[in-house]
Amino acid sequence: MKVAFKVNGVQRHVDMAPLARLLDALRGPLGLAGAKEGCGEGECGTCAVLLDGVPVNSCLVPIGQCDGREVVSVEGLGAIGHLSPLQACMAEHGGAQCGICTPGMLIAAEALLRRNSDPTAHDVRTAIAGNLCRCTGYERIVQSILHAAYELRSSDKGAAE
Amino acid sequence: MSLADLSRYEFARPASLDAACRLLSDREKKGARTVLLAGGTDFMVQVSQGGAAEGPLPLVLDVSRIKELACVSFDGTTLRIGAGVSYLELQRDPVVREYAPLVARMTQDIGGPTIQGRGTLGGNLATASPAADGVAAIAAYDPVIEVKSSRGTRKIPIAVLQTGYKQTSRAADEVIVAVEFRAPAHGSAWCWRKVGTRLAQAISKVAFAGVAEVHDGRVTRVGFAMASVAATTALLPNTRELVRLTPLAQLTAAAVDAAVASDVSPQDDVRSTRDYRMHTAKAVVRGFLRDLGAPV
Repeated sequence: MKVAFKVNGVQRHVDMAPLARLLDALRGPLGLAGAKEGCGEGECGTCAVLLDGVPVNSCLVPIGQCDGREVVSVEGLGAIGHLSPLQACMAEHGGAQCGICTPGMLIAAEALLRRNSDPTAHDVRTAIAGNLCRCTGYERIVQSILHAAYELRSSDKGAAE
Repeated sequence: MSLADLSRYEFARPASLDAACRLLSDREKKGARTVLLAGGTDFMVQVSQGGAAEGPLPLVLDVSRIKELACVSFDGTTLRIGAGVSYLELQRDPVVREYAPLVARMTQDIGGPTIQGRGTLGGNLATASPAADGVAAIAAYDPVIEVKSSRGTRKIPIAVLQTGYKQTSRAADEVIVAVEFRAPAHGSAWCWRKVGTRLAQAISKVAFAGVAEVHDGRVTRVGFAMASVAATTALLPNTRELVRLTPLAQLTAAAVDAAVASDVSPQDDVRSTRDYRMHTAKAVVRGFLRDLGAPV
């Protein structure tokens, strides 16, 4: 099945079996290995991407449902040398250790910050509730996301003034 | 079935509900199996984690873009929720939040955010797991489930839809279109309690949904439903009757416990035990009744 969809702002095409997983399209023909496969059954969240702005587990999305839609993977948030404030804060504040959960954490946090620029720690924990991390104990991830929210608010204020 | 099987499935994306019904009818006449796919949170796991499939694979019919399944509406009396609306959409829907706050609250306890964005009521009604939080929540409102086929439309009461463990009375050529129920009086009492191993990504050990309209110390409309305590979503008919017939001030813990015990048949399994589930079932019902003013 030929599927045309936007990935990180760029129109892309794949030709795959309709039930092939979006995760395999990203990591295979599209060459985007940021989203990881952890559990492959929607439990761990490390394959999370935004599908039309909504965080989803790409291991549970068949590529046949992606035609005409818009996907943002962790690569779409920023790149080396041009990290997004969220990515930079995760690096700076110890939010990433082994790195396996990080792409999913960043996507979950991105979805949160797009809707809520001033989240509480509880909001952050709710937003990342579907993402498992076995290194950090979550505290530093939560702190990183709160720092990013603060920085984004400060820069918005700066831009407005 | 396994990951390798994914590439062998045929896939169809009908543009309308009628087209989907026609396709299902044709398949049914040929004796060929069809699976309806919405958010895929069950099906994709089943396909990729299961063993290798034997025999012909079913056609996968994607209903996720059918408009008739995607709407939420309220006509002043009846709330209608499309079978294909995601739990995240229900969580954010102003009509649902206003007229069925229990449903909006429940959605926060389903899986995690990434599951809420994909899972649907239609999917949970079709797969009919007794552990489905979404089904327990709507069952407290005594809904009918609208199904459509090329033979026509029918509205099935929830108690008739669920015929056994993961079994329903939906025919193979029928599409679940929507759930409808009369909204309780505005501002009526409601309760949602999910008991799981942790706050997110947990399948319920017990989940309880309750709605009640109370006038002068009597419950005039009551709906109870519970997940994970029987082969199907438990509708607690005896407990409902007790609460309807007894003034709240005269309810006793013993009577409530006895009614609940007669309404559920929990089992030991990987997530919990029969005893814990029985204890919890009684406790959550009494908790709601206490909130209504009963001395239980």
